Amino acid sequence: MEIIRLERAQIGYRKPLLPPIDLSVRSGERLAVLGPNGGGKSTLLKSLIGLVPLLSGRLVFSNGRRPRTGYVPQTHRLDLIYPLTAFQVVLQGRYGRIGLGRFPKSSDRRAAMAQLERVGMAETAGEQFRSLSGGQRQRILLARALCGEPELLVLDEFTSDMDPVASAALLGEVAQLTDRDKVSVVFVTHEISAAALYSTEVAMLDARRGLFAAGRSEDLLTADALSRLYGQRVSLERKGDHTIVFVESERAT
Amino acid sequence: MSSSISFGDFWALFGNAILAALLVAALCGYLGLFVLLRRLAFVSAALGQIAGLGVAFGFFLGSYFGLDPHAPTPVYLDPVVLALVLCGVVSAALGYVSRVERISPESLVALVYLASTALTILLLASPRIVQEAHEVGDLLFGNAVAIRREHFVELIIVALAVLCSHVFLFKDLLFVSFDREMAQAVGLPAAKLELFLHVSIGISVAVATRAIGALPVFGFLVLPAGAALIAADSVRGVLGLSVAGALLAAGGGFYLSFVESRPTGPLMVACAAAYWPLAALYRFARRRR
Repeated sequence: MEIIRLERAQIGYRKPLLPPIDLSVRSGERLAVLGPNGGGKSTLLKSLIGLVPLLSGRLVFSNGRRPRTGYVPQTHRLDLIYPLTAFQVVLQGRYGRIGLGRFPKSSDRRAAMAQLERVGMAETAGEQFRSLSGGQRQRILLARALCGEPELLVLDEFTSDMDPVASAALLGEVAQLTDRDKVSVVFVTHEISAAALYSTEVAMLDARRGLFAAGRSEDLLTADALSRLYGQRVSLERKGDHTIVFVESERAT
Repeated sequence: MSSSISFGDFWALFGNAILAALLVAALCGYLGLFVLLRRLAFVSAALGQIAGLGVAFGFFLGSYFGLDPHAPTPVYLDPVVLALVLCGVVSAALGYVSRVERISPESLVALVYLASTALTILLLASPRIVQEAHEVGDLLFGNAVAIRREHFVELIIVALAVLCSHVFLFKDLLFVSFDREMAQAVGLPAAKLELFLHVSIGISVAVATRAIGALPVFGFLVLPAGAALIAADSVRGVLGLSVAGALLAAGGGFYLSFVESRPTGPLMVACAAAYWPLAALYRFARRRR
């Protein structure tokens, strides 16, 4: 079932980045957003969840209301001056459900603790968020996003500060955590192999060249399509579920 | 002030001013958390100048309408009301414009600070409001020893309104300050919450400045919360230390002013500034343990 859809949407801050686009996210699907730096991936992500208003076109919520959304930003965007504990950060994920001006109940606290346990960070509940490592902070932000029981989970390059092993492990955990509850996931990534492994759908875009394509991962994640997207010859080698990506130094024609 | 008078006489003379300073200290000690976390320290300094401009402009307008500055004035010409409106509007505008591309927040704050200071000086140089110049001077540089009853009442109303509304909105205001996008994604009205926070800081600075002067208000907004952020590791701890520190600095400033016959405003600021080395020492000692 479709939960959110962009219809003939022009995205951007003042000027449209791309010609009008159509894109939909269905329940339980994982959509990877790929493209070069500065290509408009984060703008697409924010437009999809209403953080950046559309310049034209429509954002349609299929069951008549905005889906409950969990958002995980890149950790370096957060100011570490805030003296918040890991638990307090996770509890923020409930604030949309709790409502403006209302106080968290014990059930909200239990839900926050349960999410901390789910991401394996229960022992850090009382620690300062700022004193945690980059990887731990990302897990806390993931727990916060899941704490609001989202129907749509949005991850904006959330493993970009992590090494490839930790990044793959965390993406694997996201897939496990969201599969159970049929949560839809939209994630921006630079890692083509991660996109191939964890996504069911892909959106590729480069605003500088006006490129946009969306479709099933197995149809779009091809050497030709990726070479066009990055302007660099890319070849792929499949080994079981995994895809190894080779980038050649000569420029693609 | 002279130490030759008894404390009873001192209280009879300055009791309202002391209570006003304590109320301002509590209010600013609390708001200081948001001022520092949102990196608005110099916004509060610029707002103090804006409050001065509002008062000077109020007197200036009043002179055109032939109003006696020491008699009750209509609300729309009341210098404090003008300062309040101007501070609220400028504070809200600073919150919005600082997100506009090509304008650095620091340069914008500098523009507001410099333009409002220059305009205030120009207004005060007008022969129409020569008599009121000392009142605006007190406002900008601090004169915590005298407060009119109506200004005290305005301060109490604003402080109660701000503190009571923040009791309910504190968690949401902290969330939107920490991560605006996630707050928006979960459905909170982030822009409205930010506007509310900026306006509440703006109007608090306006009435607090009128009550005890721009210098101690700036000091109470920045110094106790800054020291508390060094010393404490929790939001509750920072809030508690910041409010308690500001209250102690206000009381200490008045006490030192009484025994040393020195100006009260600068002494309150000096007391608040003393927390920084103390907080740094405490942090250093804790790290070595």
